[in-house]
Amino acid sequence: MLINEEYERLFNVSREDIIGMKDHDLFPAEMADEFLANDKVAAKSGGPVQFEEIAPGDDGPHTYLTIKFPLLGSDGEAYAVCGISTDITDRKRAEQEVRLFNVKLEQRVRERTAELEASTKELDAFAYSVSHDLRAPLRSLHGFSQLLLEDYSDLLDETGVSHLRRLQVNATLMAQLLDDLLRLSRTTRVELRRQSIDLTAMAESILHDLAAEEPDRTVKLSVEPELHDVGDLHLVRLAMQNLIANAWKFTGGESVAEITIGSMLRDSQPVFFVRDNGAGFDPRFENKLFEPFQRLHSAADFEGSGIGLAIVQRVVLRHGGAIWAESVPGEGATFFFTLASPVSLSEQRGEDDAK
Amino acid sequence: MMLNDQILLIEDNPDDVTFTQRAFRKNNFGNKIVVANDGAMAMKLLLPPAGIVALRPSIVLLDINLPQMSGLDVLRRLRSEEATKLIPVIMLTTSNDDRDVRASYECGANGFVRKPVAFDDFLCAVKSLGLYWLEVNEQVRPQERRSG
Repeated sequence: MLINEEYERLFNVSREDIIGMKDHDLFPAEMADEFLANDKVAAKSGGPVQFEEIAPGDDGPHTYLTIKFPLLGSDGEAYAVCGISTDITDRKRAEQEVRLFNVKLEQRVRERTAELEASTKELDAFAYSVSHDLRAPLRSLHGFSQLLLEDYSDLLDETGVSHLRRLQVNATLMAQLLDDLLRLSRTTRVELRRQSIDLTAMAESILHDLAAEEPDRTVKLSVEPELHDVGDLHLVRLAMQNLIANAWKFTGGESVAEITIGSMLRDSQPVFFVRDNGAGFDPRFENKLFEPFQRLHSAADFEGSGIGLAIVQRVVLRHGGAIWAESVPGEGATFFFTLASPVSLSEQRGEDDAK
Repeated sequence: MMLNDQILLIEDNPDDVTFTQRAFRKNNFGNKIVVANDGAMAMKLLLPPAGIVALRPSIVLLDINLPQMSGLDVLRRLRSEEATKLIPVIMLTTSNDDRDVRASYECGANGFVRKPVAFDDFLCAVKSLGLYWLEVNEQVRPQERRSG
């Protein structure tokens, strides 16, 4: 064997000592077997061959990238094999770390996904329990009040009857509140199914229903034709229903009520709006507008559970859109919303192009 | 017309039993309401051992949330037996969860009523139930006899 200085340093041998030695004298048998086998492959190949070899070092095994090629005699036969090795231990270690890190990362993602699924399931079970178990006692409260009113009316004076009626009203109110809560939680849970939506037709049918409920009201309605976007039909209808019903409700005190539904372009993206000339809200409380159970008007002025706009916001956010509002108190309010962020729109286009 | 018809109410909540009985009386449906407090009792009435006369109600009102054997279990069992598979079954539920509605119809329910909180609304629900299902059932019955 012939070696260079670096080899002397690495394996603590001198050039003089190594003459006449073989791999098996220097290295553990398994490593030496592998080196020899690689040498033979290189000798037969007639040209350079690359191997990864592991050899002991002072601080543990090192990995070498070794290029071996035969030294040929005048007869064309290999009489020796020359090897040039590069220590790639650090690179190997880094690769190993990246691999480990990836495994850990995947593990973490799996764990988080499982946690998320578990908490969604928990929320589901909770909502289900709310809708079943909290409603049943309310039914009993309301029902037995009714039986008292029917069967024991001769034992009750006017105040007693009034108390029972108030009990019933509140049981009904709480049931309504539970329903609203459930609807809110459902908007977060249900799977989004996007399809093309005719918002003009949707708004008109909602307004038609509202007008049918209160035929005595005169409301100037204006719905822009050809309002289209892509979204979940069910959820978007729920959002539109809440926005338009709000406009309807808060214009209740106007002699000439006006509700306008239209759109405008912002960053070449459609922004829809529902505008009314009703009570409006104090702009200082705009940030509270979309919080569940936040009411900016007294129950005596306008009834409601305070959950409508929270539902609208959830729907819009789930679509990746935005919602905001403007108002001058006493002069009306405008609610603006988009159904997808400009980024996700361009992503969608990109995907379409790829197809 | 429906005076002699029996209705089987499978319901574990005693308050709901009271309300249902009252609702039937107030709507002047003369049907006799047989109450089973759980699925096992309902099975004994509808699918009794040989030698015992089985109950054949005009309709079954079946609460979806029952202890042990659930309402859906009861429904599946009724639909799988020749003797009971044609009896109209109306599911009663407290929630209006879509999954309950879907599961009920998938198991072969004929109708679905969400028990409203307000008693007046419950009266209306029972009224429409009675008008629709008891009348329809009157017409279905002769055919049933022929095929059976």
